Amino acid sequence: MARAPRYYSADDVPTKKKSFKPKPAKIRASITPGTVLILLAGRFRGKRVVCLKVLPSGTLVITGPYAVNGVPLRRVNPRYVIASSTKVDISSVSVDKFDDAYFKKAAKKSAKSEKDFFQKDAEEKPKAELPAQFKQDQKEVDNALTAALKKDALLKCYMKARFSLTKGQAPHEMKF
Amino acid sequence: MGKQPVRLYSKGVVQGYKRGIRNQHPAQTRLSIQGVCTRDDVQWYLGKRVAYIYKASALKKGTRGKETKIRVIWGKVIAPHGNSGHVRAKFAKNLPPTAIGGPVRVMLYPSHT
Amino acid sequence: MGFARFVEVGRVVLVEYGTGFGKTAVIVDVLDQNKCMIDGPTTGVARQLIAYKRIALTDFTIEIPRGASSAQLEEAIKANDVLAKFAATSWGKKLDKQRKRAELNDFDRFKLMVAKKEKSRLIAKEYKKLKKAAKV
Repeated sequence: MARAPRYYSADDVPTKKKSFKPKPAKIRASITPGTVLILLAGRFRGKRVVCLKVLPSGTLVITGPYAVNGVPLRRVNPRYVIASSTKVDISSVSVDKFDDAYFKKAAKKSAKSEKDFFQKDAEEKPKAELPAQFKQDQKEVDNALTAALKKDALLKCYMKARFSLTKGQAPHEMKF
Repeated sequence: MGKQPVRLYSKGVVQGYKRGIRNQHPAQTRLSIQGVCTRDDVQWYLGKRVAYIYKASALKKGTRGKETKIRVIWGKVIAPHGNSGHVRAKFAKNLPPTAIGGPVRVMLYPSHT
Repeated sequence: MGFARFVEVGRVVLVEYGTGFGKTAVIVDVLDQNKCMIDGPTTGVARQLIAYKRIALTDFTIEIPRGASSAQLEEAIKANDVLAKFAATSWGKKLDKQRKRAELNDFDRFKLMVAKKEKSRLIAKEYKKLKKAAKV
């Protein structure tokens, strides 16, 4: 047992409350910027993509690149991803502008007018157009990445192909 | 179950419930997973999501607002069972006895590789 | 035909259990009907008693005295080059292939798939040529 301290202050000493600041999330060591990832769920499941950046929120910024396999710049949860041991050189890609705020959708208009409501049933609303800035960014990233992918003759084909388990394969025995 | 472009799950089979010699404990289900033969192998699968997919007679709302007869009970792998690569799983709703011998999908997520 | 592979001192074996899994070793002493002493100074198999059901006998033997020390055994193995001889058999090649396959990562598997496709394409092409020639 620890011995009680010999000295007690007679007055209450106010202790400073530490304000809680969330620490940037830790990510498993196998995922680094440039790692080729396999997406496991969602629309793009089975696609092989490149990890561009790890955000402080713990999500990963990835892209197919879009020009190669149709996966745009987006955030993914690392729990829904298998990290492969293949790396792509992404030193030529500028990723500074991609943070959590960048990917936040513009707030939806909450107050719907009655007219809007009926209009929705009557006719399909026009699809929301992507902002021009996003398209521009995607293009820049794609150009830099496809140049990096060209260094290995098969790498581009590899990124284009989807991953799938086949007969006799058990994921716990496989190396990725 | 429809066309799927890729298989991103391991195949499993429902072996029965956790049980003693006389009593069954349907809150936990025993599964065997294809290609998993030892207790060490199971380590990779712990925590993985499991889907029991079955067909019912009545239509019900499925994903994307479509009516479908296919339903799913989700669960997850919770522990190894014995030394031969079987696992125990817990489902959101206990699996019905008709599920015994039926197929389950052991998904590859949440991933730690 | 009788048996050709016997449990005997100097028999090269393949360990199929435990830390030495998939490695080759040599029997240095026979204890009883169930166990023998094996040693693999060049392959990293520790000197140990092991049950016969956990090893597989190969075609090869080397000349060593019963209960040979690790140093003696190492010398004999190196002089005979018996491990290389085993690796050159179809069994040894199969093991090597299995090991290499297990080492492949996702990208390597993809490359393998592409190479396989190319191979079967070439074979099909040649086959068609021959078929045409045979008809005429």
